[in-house]
Amino acid sequence: MQLINRVTSVTFLCLFFAYAAQAATPTLVIYTYDSFTSEWGPGPQVKKAFEQQCSCTLEMTGLEDGVSILNRLKLEGKNTRADIVLGIDTNLTAEARATGLFEAHGMSLENSALPDPWDDSMFLPYDYGYFAFVYNQELLKNPPDSMKQLVEDPRGPTILIQDPRTSTPGLGLLLWIKKIYGERAPEAWAKLSDRIVTVSKGWSEAYGLFLKGEADMVLSYTTSPAYHIIAEQDRRFAAARFSEGHYQQIEVAGLVKSSQQKELGREFLAFMLSDRFQSLIPTTNWMYPATLEASKLPQEFNALIDPSPALLFDDKTVARERKAWVNEWLETMVK
Amino acid sequence: MTQTERSAYLVIAILAVLVLAPMGGLLSLGRLPGFEPQDLQFWQSTYIRRVIFFSLWQALLSALLSVVPAILVARAFALNGNFPFRSLLLRLFGLPLVVPSVVAVMGIVSVYGSGGWIPLGRSLYGLNGILLAHVFFNLPLAVRLLLPLWQGIPRHHWELAEQMGFSGWHRWRYLEWPAIREGLPGVLLLVFMLCLTSFAVVLTLGGGPKSTTLEVAIYQSLRFDFDPVQAVVLALLQLSLCLLVAVVILKMQKLPEVEISISSPASESRDYRSLLNRLVILVAGIYVGLPLASLLIDALSGPLAQVVTNEYIWQSAGKTLMLGLGAAVLSVTAGWFLLGASSQLANRGQLRRARLVEISGSIIYVVPPLVLGTGTFVLLSDYIDVFSWVYPIVIVINAMMGLPFVIRSLGPAMRQNQMRYQNLCSSLALSGWNRFIFIDWPLLRRSIGLSAALVAALAMGDLGVIALFGTPNTATLPLLIYQQLGAYLIPQATATALLLLGLCLLVFWIIERYIGGKDDA
Repeated sequence: MQLINRVTSVTFLCLFFAYAAQAATPTLVIYTYDSFTSEWGPGPQVKKAFEQQCSCTLEMTGLEDGVSILNRLKLEGKNTRADIVLGIDTNLTAEARATGLFEAHGMSLENSALPDPWDDSMFLPYDYGYFAFVYNQELLKNPPDSMKQLVEDPRGPTILIQDPRTSTPGLGLLLWIKKIYGERAPEAWAKLSDRIVTVSKGWSEAYGLFLKGEADMVLSYTTSPAYHIIAEQDRRFAAARFSEGHYQQIEVAGLVKSSQQKELGREFLAFMLSDRFQSLIPTTNWMYPATLEASKLPQEFNALIDPSPALLFDDKTVARERKAWVNEWLETMVK
Repeated sequence: MTQTERSAYLVIAILAVLVLAPMGGLLSLGRLPGFEPQDLQFWQSTYIRRVIFFSLWQALLSALLSVVPAILVARAFALNGNFPFRSLLLRLFGLPLVVPSVVAVMGIVSVYGSGGWIPLGRSLYGLNGILLAHVFFNLPLAVRLLLPLWQGIPRHHWELAEQMGFSGWHRWRYLEWPAIREGLPGVLLLVFMLCLTSFAVVLTLGGGPKSTTLEVAIYQSLRFDFDPVQAVVLALLQLSLCLLVAVVILKMQKLPEVEISISSPASESRDYRSLLNRLVILVAGIYVGLPLASLLIDALSGPLAQVVTNEYIWQSAGKTLMLGLGAAVLSVTAGWFLLGASSQLANRGQLRRARLVEISGSIIYVVPPLVLGTGTFVLLSDYIDVFSWVYPIVIVINAMMGLPFVIRSLGPAMRQNQMRYQNLCSSLALSGWNRFIFIDWPLLRRSIGLSAALVAALAMGDLGVIALFGTPNTATLPLLIYQQLGAYLIPQATATALLLLGLCLLVFWIIERYIGGKDDA
């Protein structure tokens, strides 16, 4: 009995101190995706750097991807623990806005490195990238120089892509082809379909199969070769530049309306746009930072292809049309 | 109603609540603004009809191609009692269960891809690839589940057959087949369910959206579309289809026609060597071994040292182990009660009720973990901080997913035990704990060990549930593998996968050694 008493009082003491500690240093909760929080993602360094300046605790919850983050927020509604959501992209911002769970950030995006002006009052971008087909330069000597050539050459390279029903790059390619071909997109897919080796669930499967040599090209990002150059000193890989331009993905963060830590939240958003955070992005998230000057990028990034013009549907169009376009794609692909 | 039956119905009631309540939670969301069902006619579309047909067709083919050869392989193992590495080989057969699907896909492609050892080129992608992968996953599992059926054949039957000079064919027809018939439909059903719910393998090796299973449709409706009502409708559809198949398959189940006597089961292995049987084992070993070997080669040529010296990875390994063992204990306990009741019922001739108890424990597997997890989240998030309950929730869901494995691996042995010893125990007034210690445990520990090892492996390889809730700090190994793959760290991911397999092999060895007793496998 005495032991139980002792255990109980020790527990209460611990709880008290934990509570007291919590009361002294506020905690900022961020919902993000788990490749951001993982050991080799930007998460650990972001946490360290921000905690040094804010005298607070930064708690990051890593979910599967942007879609999961938004769904989690929808499920939790106003009871969410999240103060900041970081990691949804512009294909999801219209839906996110419609939930009414976000608050205007009230900040301006100075030194934007984005190709187009940013005028979203609710979400702030932290990085961006472009979809591209990546290939091995030793094995594919004459990569297509446009989407048109890729689609229309029946003896063109074989490709690995991801499924738009399950993966963000997969949806990206769907929108890319839609942007270029408009109503003729199904025809383009029909021509392409013979050379699609497989349509994988996610990026990892397709990229892994590509590295095993299962196809000539894989749908990935223009920045993928930078990984191989910087981390592996391997210069074999390149992204094919398409003359029509490349579809863009912009990743954003937003402040949650029900948050009790809005001031701290805004401090984090400002930190997110600062060079300290931004300079972590290229070699941890392998994307272009949203506000960092080009001269501060690792030099390997400046050697990557110029993806302009940047192609992008506005978020309302994506939210309205996505389902119909995915179904249209399905119909073409199962024929 | 006996106490055993009461506890079995209690377990069934708990299972029903654990499955139906989350679905109810998701349906209740449908009434909230922003969650309105978007398209209720969806399930009537040609798309979904095609998906249903494909799901069933590929699952049926995969199940037959896995289980029929598995009979030959299991027989070859049963009749070759001793050869070098026999038990190691059988433990290796437990491994495919734990391999995360993306790693398995890479292994299959290393072997059969265009740059592989047995290049199939592009014909790999399509039904071929799906079947190759599903047989890789399920043939060894079926062998593990079928093999004990041979060990259940009483020793004096073998002796009698020998005295009467039975040929190999007669032995099979009158001795082995009757014993296997009892367990075969259950194994077929389990493999069918595993293939029915297969997702990443089907999509990636299937070559495109022509190979879409219901599981993909459910995933799609609960993620990009976020339409909980449609997800539940599809999950119920999958559940009822599976129920239908379960009823048909289990109708084929026959209790052994052999007379039951109180004689010791043949615990030592038979030894009817033949060249053919050895060849069968060799071929099966190569088939299962090749993708694993390619993984081993990739991992050894990668940064293995960097991975195994990483403290974080060992934390993950510890967490993975804890979740696996937790699920195994819970699942075997629940399975024990269910099987106790079903074998009592069967013993009293109430076969239909016995079957019902077994089916209810089995088909939970086809309710997608994504549906269970999201539904559980909806239900609980108003009352508790779900984040601090992630591990218990994951253990419970994984234990439910493991239940069909327990029912298949422990069921036949328990029923035989019941038939052999029920009368003896009644006349000795031996029941409860005493009966467990003196009668059941010594005779069933090997089957208990196998089922615990299988559930632990399944839970250790699971990705779905834990990924859903998010990871505040430490990821499990499968999740870590996916994170590494997502960050271009493919060599590290392969090394981590090897660690996961090693851990799983260790768990198999320890469980089968210390729970299963010395004469393992």
